[in-house]
Amino acid sequence: MASTWTDRRLAPYGFLAPAIVLFGLFFALPIGYALHLSLHSVQVKGLGLGRNAREEVWVGLDNFITALSDPELLAGAGRVLRYGAMLVPAMLGLALLFALLLDLPRTRFRAFSRLAIFLPYAVPGIIASLLWGFLYLPSVSPGYFLLRAVGWSGPDLLQGDWLFLALTNIAVWGGTGFNMIVIYTSLRAIPPELYESARLDGCTETQIALRIKIPLIMPSLVLTFFFSTIATLQVFAEPMTLRPLTNSLSSTWSPYMKVYRDAFIQGGMHSAAATAVVIAVVTLVLSFGFLKVVNRRTAERTP
Amino acid sequence: MQRRTGLTAIALIGSLTLAACSGGGTPSADGPVELTMWSWATLQKVADIWNADHPDIKVTVQEQGGGDELVTKVITAAKAGDGPDLVQAEYQMIPTLVSNDVLADITEFAGGAKDKFTENVWKQVTLDSAVYAIPQDTAPLAFYYREDLFTQLGLEVPTTWTEFADVARQIKQKDPNRALTTFSSNDAGLFAGLTQQAGATWWSASGDTWKVAIDVEASRKVATFWGDLVAEGVIDNQPMYTPAWNKALNDGMQIAWVSAVWAPGVLVTSAPDTKGKWRMAPLPQWSAGSNTTGSWGGSTTGITAKAAKNGRAKAAAEFATWLNTDPKAVAALVKEAGVYPAATAAQTSGALTTPEFFPNQPDFYRQAAELAKGTAAASWGPNVNVAYGTFKDAFGKAATEKSPFPAALKAVQDATVADMKKNGFKIEG
Amino acid sequence: MSALLVGPRVKPSVSARRTSWLPTFLLLLGAVYCLIPVLWVVMAATKSRSELFSTFTFLPGNGLWTNLSELTAYRDGVYWLWMLNSGLYAGVGALLSAAVSALSGYALAKYSFPGRGVIFTVILAGVLMPPIALAVPQYLLLAKVDLAGSYWSVLLPSILSPYGIYLARVYAAAAVPDEVLEAARVDGARDLRLFTSIAFPMMRPGLVTVFLFQFVAIWNNFLLPYVMLADDETFPVTVGLYSLLQQGASKPALYTLVITGALLSIIPLIALFLGLQRYWRVDLLTGAVKS
Repeated sequence: MASTWTDRRLAPYGFLAPAIVLFGLFFALPIGYALHLSLHSVQVKGLGLGRNAREEVWVGLDNFITALSDPELLAGAGRVLRYGAMLVPAMLGLALLFALLLDLPRTRFRAFSRLAIFLPYAVPGIIASLLWGFLYLPSVSPGYFLLRAVGWSGPDLLQGDWLFLALTNIAVWGGTGFNMIVIYTSLRAIPPELYESARLDGCTETQIALRIKIPLIMPSLVLTFFFSTIATLQVFAEPMTLRPLTNSLSSTWSPYMKVYRDAFIQGGMHSAAATAVVIAVVTLVLSFGFLKVVNRRTAERTP
Repeated sequence: MQRRTGLTAIALIGSLTLAACSGGGTPSADGPVELTMWSWATLQKVADIWNADHPDIKVTVQEQGGGDELVTKVITAAKAGDGPDLVQAEYQMIPTLVSNDVLADITEFAGGAKDKFTENVWKQVTLDSAVYAIPQDTAPLAFYYREDLFTQLGLEVPTTWTEFADVARQIKQKDPNRALTTFSSNDAGLFAGLTQQAGATWWSASGDTWKVAIDVEASRKVATFWGDLVAEGVIDNQPMYTPAWNKALNDGMQIAWVSAVWAPGVLVTSAPDTKGKWRMAPLPQWSAGSNTTGSWGGSTTGITAKAAKNGRAKAAAEFATWLNTDPKAVAALVKEAGVYPAATAAQTSGALTTPEFFPNQPDFYRQAAELAKGTAAASWGPNVNVAYGTFKDAFGKAATEKSPFPAALKAVQDATVADMKKNGFKIEG
Repeated sequence: MSALLVGPRVKPSVSARRTSWLPTFLLLLGAVYCLIPVLWVVMAATKSRSELFSTFTFLPGNGLWTNLSELTAYRDGVYWLWMLNSGLYAGVGALLSAAVSALSGYALAKYSFPGRGVIFTVILAGVLMPPIALAVPQYLLLAKVDLAGSYWSVLLPSILSPYGIYLARVYAAAAVPDEVLEAARVDGARDLRLFTSIAFPMMRPGLVTVFLFQFVAIWNNFLLPYVMLADDETFPVTVGLYSLLQQGASKPALYTLVITGALLSIIPLIALFLGLQRYWRVDLLTGAVKS
């Protein structure tokens, strides 16, 4: 018989049991398996045909050395950084702008705009890419149609540097609304008294926004920045869907696409696992580093 | 439709409570043998004919995405001991699938089907004297062109590649908005077929050693030819199978397409407004008067190692043989999947009626049979997926930058060899 | 506080009679930008195969009926099965996810016990795991227990949501007062009863939010079902549409079907947004940072 005391002591573990079991089965175990794969490789015998022609062998860190010395991985990381450097400021800038505008007292059609801007959140990444993919193609896009009508020709958005813009646009379209709602909600949590007096003192709405509102919602801006950056590093569905439409998106455009290509197109499950482990470790280190810096800053400000 | 929605709820609950329903059933004393097949073509209706006549073997077709996706998926499934009993596979993927232990040796069950096919075709399903699949369709290359626009622009149908290049230039002179065709980097199969016509054999094996011959004189000739046309700007450099490509074909902005005998089935969806305006002609030749062509795809029905392990290989091979050689089955295949059958008897049978999209060419399949006679032999290696994948990236880049194609060809050769070496294959040279 | 449809918080003291036109205009511009692709897909879905590439993009065509019936006829109506599957994966998955999140969030917020910080951090780090790095090993492991390809293979890995646990924890901390729990405990209530009869009802609105987030996440998920499933009768709508798009050389993409299917697949989520607007409580998220 468990006394109330032990009951209370063990209860939280009981409540957490489903989550811990699921975590073990669907996160920890697969991660362990990925580590196992990353340390092994396949070797064939003879022509490599017929039954049991392939066997798994231990290769130590070979896969990691190959992964890290492949210039395509670094190049892919560079492309994703460039993409992220365009995407995150643009998306969060727009989200902040829209949220601040929604919070102004005399703006109209707010409910409509808010819903419309939030709407793309309901559209899965691959479908969003498909829709924009159509809108980017010169021969079928209404934008080009209008340009041609006035005698201009637009650039090919799926080539060269324009490609970054094309991809960024899809993600901005899909992500601005969600972040806008996050920021807007925290704006509305600010007690109005805090800027009523400023308003009476003759501050303009712009000044109120810059000097009062933005500093107060800094924590949620940091949070949206953090989550947006993580999502950016994991970019996959958009370039994968656009890829068949253009010559300019290689199968290793982003590190994740490289993992996908190695694992699924080229059948190199083991080297793909090594690359995935490298990406995961880099992401973890960067994330915790970032959170640490943010926490220290916050701690300094609020002693 | 009605049947399906009616059963949907039950199916959902059923699969939830019964947990896994991934594989087929196991043979039991009382029930029929249940076989699953993965295919990208619409084959269930053909399988239904079989199911009606064979109460002891029931086949269910699970339709999948395109060829490459299917290969990827079936290899992953095999690694996990999962997957179907039968799989539709293109010829070039057979060694890859065999090497990954996906396909079973079915020589003892299928050897009898050998004389139903030409020697070249049968060779492609045979590796190291073991049979791994039953051929389904062949896909010889041909030259498709808009008959009306060729007349309107006063163009001659090219019979050699030199004439082909001349026609491309003439079109640009007469109407700069139009192009003869495009060079597409998104399917290596077409390029591989064109190099077969020029005499290349990308892989071959002798003893326990492989030879990779992608970057050879014959392929370089083809690469240079197309690369020069792209650089000159007389043909387009954008990929095929995109909405823009559909529009170009539909509007007559591209007026020809080098494709395989299955092209009518593609044109009907891609260029719906052009019914009756296309015509098929033999592929242009490297030397006037010859009659050689390559292949772009063509598929087989393979029996998986999983089926063999579960004692279902015999039943599966029986079905695969029936599917690809029985006159009734082949007629249904032609009707449902629009394929050009590999079985020689079927190629001259009444099963092949004029494609609906080509009413202006009533002897379409007789002409196809004629040009198929010149199909060059092909043989494939254990990592075609790597070569084809690298092709997309390397030639995509070259086509965009209009840089020389032979460099891209070398990149494909190097990546293929490096991958094989990494996996421990012995390679000549 | 609901973010989506709360009316403007205008104090009567501040004159609201004059409209600020510039902000209004900028917001409407944003709205138009977000609606253009949606409008495009609505128009494109009405076009027949040849109209799709030949008529002006923003004019309706005559093919809507044909497209719908072709989509319904495709593989004996498999599209509608995909929609049902999506509903099943997202509905059941999100329900289980909300339940697991509620239990875990409650425990993390209302008990202090050894390992609390570690468990929370480790689960949260799950967000950082690249889904693609997880999907393949998950497949191989599930295949070992003969579950790959089944409904379970998509449902089970979708249940644990680090994000949901995080939200539930924040919400439990804010909505369930310690005093109420203590009082019930003094009355002799056991821990499980405390949760089911006191904490759970108090947490319910927040759990609806967790449910909604997870519903959208599972509905929009592509990679996991794509890797796990082979039989197209088990596909969710994202994977199904992708399979229509990736047909291979001798079988081109069926664009009219894909577009019509894409339009129809957005409708349920839009309905969910409009119907349950007051539950989109993203303020949970921001409240957390402050606490």
